[in-house]
Amino acid sequence: MGAHLVRRYITETDTEPDPAKKFEFDPQFGFAERKEREIIATQEQMNLAQLPVEQRDYCAQYLMKLMKCKRDNWPNFLACKHERHDWDYCEHQDYVMRMKEYERERRLQLRKKRIAAQAEAA
Amino acid sequence: MRTCQSARQQKPVNMAGVGFRRWAQALSKGKGSGIPALLSRSRAAATFSKGSLPGPYPETPEEKAAAAKKYNMIVEDYKPYPDNGEGYGDYPKLPERSQHERDPWYQWDHPDLRRNWGEPMHWHFDMLIRNRVDTSPSPVPWSTMCKQLFGFIGFMLFMFYIGEKFPAYQPVAPKQYPYNNLYLERGGDPEKQPEEVKHYEI
Repeated sequence: MGAHLVRRYITETDTEPDPAKKFEFDPQFGFAERKEREIIATQEQMNLAQLPVEQRDYCAQYLMKLMKCKRDNWPNFLACKHERHDWDYCEHQDYVMRMKEYERERRLQLRKKRIAAQAEAA
Repeated sequence: MRTCQSARQQKPVNMAGVGFRRWAQALSKGKGSGIPALLSRSRAAATFSKGSLPGPYPETPEEKAAAAKKYNMIVEDYKPYPDNGEGYGDYPKLPERSQHERDPWYQWDHPDLRRNWGEPMHWHFDMLIRNRVDTSPSPVPWSTMCKQLFGFIGFMLFMFYIGEKFPAYQPVAPKQYPYNNLYLERGGDPEKQPEEVKHYEI
């Protein structure tokens, strides 16, 4: 916990990525073929569902299904277990992807520095 | 209230009682009755009688001794207000200590006021009763209180500055949003072509 903050501010200040800035490496770098993320919910659907901006992410279709289920089953608040799990799982996968992207950026930064150091030594 | 001392020395005068007695006498005698007489009588009853006002400022030691005796004090303790023409006369200047400072366990004659009968009364006694001004010393000195308060505020400001300079965050990339990171939803211009943003699975 907090190891990334120690690296960012104390030990590896030059390579630890800053999420507030744009990541510098090409998303395709190191991949043969990278699958683009798909959004199923259309903008019109999200507008009609009146989703707040921060929830219009790649899991919006699951959230809209959950909201619909909640509405149809009111007042049975225990009804939409599966829909809630689907949405939660999607958000979890989204978060894991963000963790992986961060780690990829960090390792690519380390690699870049390592290559630069080797070039200097040679 | 502050006329209690002198009232004890002179005859015990109850102003309201006097007014009522005179009024009753006037009514029973049947002379000078009527609204104007009532008004004038009641106005007379509302003023101070001569005996309930402080006497003239004491100049000589004898006068001081007499005034001290009048206010039920010993001469060493008696000290009048300075003679500035403010109307204090010979009224004693008592220390400005609130009744709250007094011993709550002592058997006072008036436990609510923490006051004994016949005790000299401060000119502003009503200001120094227990639910008004409290002059008792604070638990810690004023300088210590200031140091603690401003030390705490300064420390908090310093910590907020540190938190701004070095924010704590989770080691994850920024959240990805569809439709060019919600270009339209975030108030982008629909006329312009937004910068294309692609997100990939990983």
